Amino acid sequence: MMNTNTADVIIIGAGAIGSAAAYYLTKKGISVIVLEKSDYIGNGGSSRNGGGVRQSGRDPRELPLAMYGVRNLWPSLSDELGMDVEYCQEGNLRLGKTEEHLKILRGLTASCNAGGLDMRMVDAKEAREICPYLSDEVVGAGWCPTDGHANPMLVTLAYYRAARRNGARFITGVRALEIRKVRGRAREVVTDNGVYEGDTIMLIAGYDSRVIAQGLGFDIPMSPFLMEVVVTEDAPPMFRQMLGTAMADFYGHQSAHGSFVFGGSSGYEAYCASEGTPTSRSITASSVCRAVLGYFPALSRTKIVRTWAGWIDECADHVPVIGRADEAPGLVFGCAFSGHGFGISPVVGTLLAELAAGEATTLDISAFDYDRFKAKI
Amino acid sequence: MSGVCDRARDLGVFQSASDDGRIICRCEEITKGEIRRAVHDGMFNLHEVRRFLRCGMGLCQGQTCGKLVRAIIARELNISAAELDDATARAPMRPLEMEIFGREAPGI
Amino acid sequence: MTRYDLIVIGAGPAGLSAAAEAASHGLSVAVFDENARPGGQLFKQIHKFFGSKEHKAKIRGYDIGEELLREAEGLGVKVFLNSPVIGLYAGKEVAVNLNGAETARFRGDTVVVATGASENMVTFDGWTLPGVMGAGAAQTMMNINRVRPGSRVLMLGSGNVGLVVGFQLLQAGCELAAVIDAAPRVGGYGVHAAKLARCGVPFYLSHTIIRAEGDDRVTGAVIGRTDAKWNIIPGTEKHFDADTICIAVGLSPSTRLVQMAGCEMHEPAPGGGRLPVCDEITGETSIPGIYCSGDVSGIEEASSAMIEGRISGAAAARRLGFIDESEFERRLTGLERALASLREGMFAPKNRGKTFEKTDEGFDISVSLLENGYLSDAEAVRYPGVKTLPGVHPVIECTQNIPCNPCQDACPKGCIAVGANIVSLPAINESAKCIGCGQCVASCSGQAVFLVNEDAGGGYATVTAPYEFIPLPAKGERGRALDRAGNVICDAEVVDVRVSPAFDHTSLLTFKVPKSECGRARFWKRGERL
Repeated sequence: MMNTNTADVIIIGAGAIGSAAAYYLTKKGISVIVLEKSDYIGNGGSSRNGGGVRQSGRDPRELPLAMYGVRNLWPSLSDELGMDVEYCQEGNLRLGKTEEHLKILRGLTASCNAGGLDMRMVDAKEAREICPYLSDEVVGAGWCPTDGHANPMLVTLAYYRAARRNGARFITGVRALEIRKVRGRAREVVTDNGVYEGDTIMLIAGYDSRVIAQGLGFDIPMSPFLMEVVVTEDAPPMFRQMLGTAMADFYGHQSAHGSFVFGGSSGYEAYCASEGTPTSRSITASSVCRAVLGYFPALSRTKIVRTWAGWIDECADHVPVIGRADEAPGLVFGCAFSGHGFGISPVVGTLLAELAAGEATTLDISAFDYDRFKAKI
Repeated sequence: MSGVCDRARDLGVFQSASDDGRIICRCEEITKGEIRRAVHDGMFNLHEVRRFLRCGMGLCQGQTCGKLVRAIIARELNISAAELDDATARAPMRPLEMEIFGREAPGI
Repeated sequence: MTRYDLIVIGAGPAGLSAAAEAASHGLSVAVFDENARPGGQLFKQIHKFFGSKEHKAKIRGYDIGEELLREAEGLGVKVFLNSPVIGLYAGKEVAVNLNGAETARFRGDTVVVATGASENMVTFDGWTLPGVMGAGAAQTMMNINRVRPGSRVLMLGSGNVGLVVGFQLLQAGCELAAVIDAAPRVGGYGVHAAKLARCGVPFYLSHTIIRAEGDDRVTGAVIGRTDAKWNIIPGTEKHFDADTICIAVGLSPSTRLVQMAGCEMHEPAPGGGRLPVCDEITGETSIPGIYCSGDVSGIEEASSAMIEGRISGAAAARRLGFIDESEFERRLTGLERALASLREGMFAPKNRGKTFEKTDEGFDISVSLLENGYLSDAEAVRYPGVKTLPGVHPVIECTQNIPCNPCQDACPKGCIAVGANIVSLPAINESAKCIGCGQCVASCSGQAVFLVNEDAGGGYATVTAPYEFIPLPAKGERGRALDRAGNVICDAEVVDVRVSPAFDHTSLLTFKVPKSECGRARFWKRGERL
């Protein structure tokens, strides 16, 4: 098996979810080949990622996945994978500075509560008890104590490492060009390095999934959307929460290492030229810094050591496409995660592995069907 | 490394060496042994080793250790260091305080 | 947003030259540099430069820096110091940390990246101890910050950086315990090595540092001989006391800005850095209007960097229509010739890694110079600059083909001939009469010219040698003469000390030795009578 191009499952895309799926498949004794276009594992959104393991603020369709992961998979993930993935479950503070902001946060809280998530509003005093470094301008916050964050690069590489140890075959530098049907089933992956064959083909390739799926007559309505992040030097431990704001002007956390990872925007992210490697724009880091310092003035002398950019595969309705492609038996989608795939990567990996194994899925995934996109009128 | 790379490649059993304890990345205090082990764990290039261990991700962003780490990886894989890509160059070129990055001057 | 015709990143020799050249053609130019002083490495270069007049030979680096800066500022170039560039973004947008206070953005219709190079490191046990530093760092400490890096130094690396900094360490009053190199031959100019050797510095070729010793700082080091595969040969370990270890194992181009901008890069050379793909003449990268000049496009000397900068500046002027093609070509002709002559000789970029058995003239290369850092007595006499003649006359111990000819220009009497090809070895014109003015001694950047009078009377000979140490001895002071290997060979009385603005900080020391020693005595050292 090792030296052929055939396996039970061919996965296109070695990101966090592709690697997770590979890991869970190998645990079931299913053979896997993972094809990655980049020369590096996890070089797309998985290494260009704010690291949130968040349930709050999720679409009601996605919330059950997030909650399942936080209850059942994240707490034991480091043990499961044999290395520390820096999961930290110390809550999510979503900050507001004005009554307008608090209104937004109350709405969000109500929606999360409706989905069964423990989230509540806290006043300025309680917010400062949770995080003492808040600016005086903060008047209240939404608080979800069971949210957290982890290191997306370590999660991806830990899944990769564990799957590789279990016998999954990862090949980097191979670009999938087309998926071909054989006698009515999706079976062959044509690449720039030959043809790979599997009983199941999983398309977990970020925005590239759209292009590849188009070859089989599927068009998933998503577009690439730039995200940019700044990373600081390491600082003494200051706060453990995942942070966001009502205005969504920045989000981020302090990593186990001590550096802060802050994402944000300049407002033009939807209009960036979407060719090739994502590149940082000159104005965004400054914008992120101003946004962060508006809430955490104590960080003013903390140094930025790098900035980076990544593509989000932003879906028309902001939730992913997960599941079997009924019109092409054998093909399974896992894409269009719209910038919040990392927090649900263990559970999605689990679900995808179940699909390939022909098992009933642990959670209902019908809301993520590829065929859900209907005209609005 | 550009081109097809099958990560199933067998590197043999990890053999510890007398200089494994030597610090290579001074900013993040990563040793030669950690880097060698990471290669055996499947991290076959500078990008993955950096993401796995944080070497070259500190204050100097790998400007001192980048070449050293590359050489260690290459030796472990028994390839030429020339086959390994550099780390991606990212702004800022020098560490920069958030308040300065955020304070934009009018043009001069 | 403020837009300049040309933005130059880096105010070193290449950057300032590009800026001055472009401004001279009428371009609006801004230069950004992270340092408090312009000039890049030039202000650390307290030694005299090689080359010929057009390369500013025999002028010290810091003077070249001052001159370049005056020229650029006189032409209206805006030089922003203490202003590190943050990034080179799409659209030739340069973000700058202006004065360490705020972030400013500028656009350039053209950009010259002249960010230079940074030092390579090697690791050995103890390499992170305080006291281990780059040779360039030691040079900055001494020559910019006026702080002595240590008192007893081991130099790892015998390239020009190691040799030049080694000599400057001696000048700063440090002891240089040894120069060590894993290669079997001295990597830098023989004349630089000879300056160290005659001061008594031992060379250990085919050796490397096994470990630095010390608990919280360097107190010593152990070196060992290496075999052909760079492994230590057991039993060859040798201990040195030292409080400082300088690493001079090469430079890597600082290409991060070019890479960030998305310029195409070459495949890396084995063990070497990755260079930007540049037009061979103008330094233009794969992004039209972005140029690379100086070390960032390949490690060379500052003299080459200055010419490369000029060419890039002229190319920017042509691109933006400030000069036409024919004016550019006219400008290019002289510059290219000057650059080509610097790229000749044994140490030329094209000859890197090659070993030479003979000079261009057919003389055998000195083996002792390459292995020990000095010419043996027997070898010294084989070269055309070394002659025995009546009366005072120059002896030129210049034995490798390097692009340099100030000695020829210095002599008012025509005693010294390099010829049209500036890499030729200087030869003594026996028919011309030396007047002993010493201009040749002071003009030699390699300190390889001596005035010798084989018979100064009373059984003595005199040797006049360049001397760049303080305090200067007084006329009449007695000390010792050292041979090329740095061995004390005899007592020597200083009979003359000449200091002149024309000598530019090189003093000429004339000392008296027994006639039999005049072919060997090459350095004077303070000390008790033997």
